Amino acid sequence: MDAITAVALSLDNPVLKAAGSLIANEFFYAALILALVFLGEPRNGKRLKILATLAMVLVLGVAIKQAMAQPRPCAGEIWCPADYSFPSTHALVAFTLMIAFLGGKNYAFYLLFALLVSFSRLNTGVHGFIDVAAALPIAVLGYYAADLAWNAAKMGMQQRPGAGGRKGGGAT
Amino acid sequence: MSIKPSLKMERETARQVFHAALGVAALALLLLFGREFTTGLLFFIIIGGTFLMNKRLLGEKVPVVQWLEWQFERPDAPLPGWGSACYAAGVLLLLTFLTDANEIAASLVVLGLGDAISTIVGARGRIVLPYNRKKTVEGAAAFFLASLGAWYFVGPAAIPLAAVATVAESLPWLEDNLAIPVACVVFFLVL
Repeated sequence: MDAITAVALSLDNPVLKAAGSLIANEFFYAALILALVFLGEPRNGKRLKILATLAMVLVLGVAIKQAMAQPRPCAGEIWCPADYSFPSTHALVAFTLMIAFLGGKNYAFYLLFALLVSFSRLNTGVHGFIDVAAALPIAVLGYYAADLAWNAAKMGMQQRPGAGGRKGGGAT
Repeated sequence: MSIKPSLKMERETARQVFHAALGVAALALLLLFGREFTTGLLFFIIIGGTFLMNKRLLGEKVPVVQWLEWQFERPDAPLPGWGSACYAAGVLLLLTFLTDANEIAASLVVLGLGDAISTIVGARGRIVLPYNRKKTVEGAAAFFLASLGAWYFVGPAAIPLAAVATVAESLPWLEDNLAIPVACVVFFLVL
């Protein structure tokens, strides 16, 4: 076990453990992410883009998990999730959300949220540090790919006959 | 105000020397302190870097970052610090996906050395690639040859690795600093 994972795992704070248990609950976590998107971004177009990106990176993350097939550090324990470990999809979603808010005044909040989620995955013993660290470049890659796809789709819609857009026209 | 071509070339060369130096630094950290330490350090550097990047996007002055931007970032970068952020993310991708230190080191040679030399040579090249008007055959050849330095770490596997990475680097629309690490990871994990 690496040093960062060992330190995170050794912290036995009831508040952190409770937060970790809540984040581990997929339904609660999905609702929290939705709330953070809708509270942090007032524009519907950008909200849609963030949600589409989150869905895309989640699919990518699950596909990588299946391909890499690495067992969790807690494998064998009754409370341990049944799926694979690498990468942490919780951290992946949190880092993607963080990147989506780059350039905004609330960025520091989303950065701290992503770090808290990452820490909670280590603290609850369901991931190692490498799983969490891998989520960061995948989030950058996923957001970059989604941005390219989003811009291409937007240009395609503007160029479609009868779409009311103009080639190279400004965004609405 | 436009930048003089000679000055633009000088900045691009400086940018690529810095690029190669970062690759050497990452390689040295990996060989001296191991994968886990290097991964941890880079992870927190990226987190801190995005925080500074956000400050710049909000219009705040961060002198060190502005100096780095002026010296080493392309004038047409979509965000301040974009190239450096992608490079760091690419290296982190290699460190987390690959477990063998020799494979990581070989990929760092390709990313650090190959990309830097190909940009310097490619900028002076004359034969444009048919599928990417921004890149030249000379640049692609220089990338392939420089990437063969990976032989030191992985032996003959450096030849197909260099070939796969050369194709990834030459593709249009893709950010080199992300495309090359993805190609290296796919090469070592799948092929």
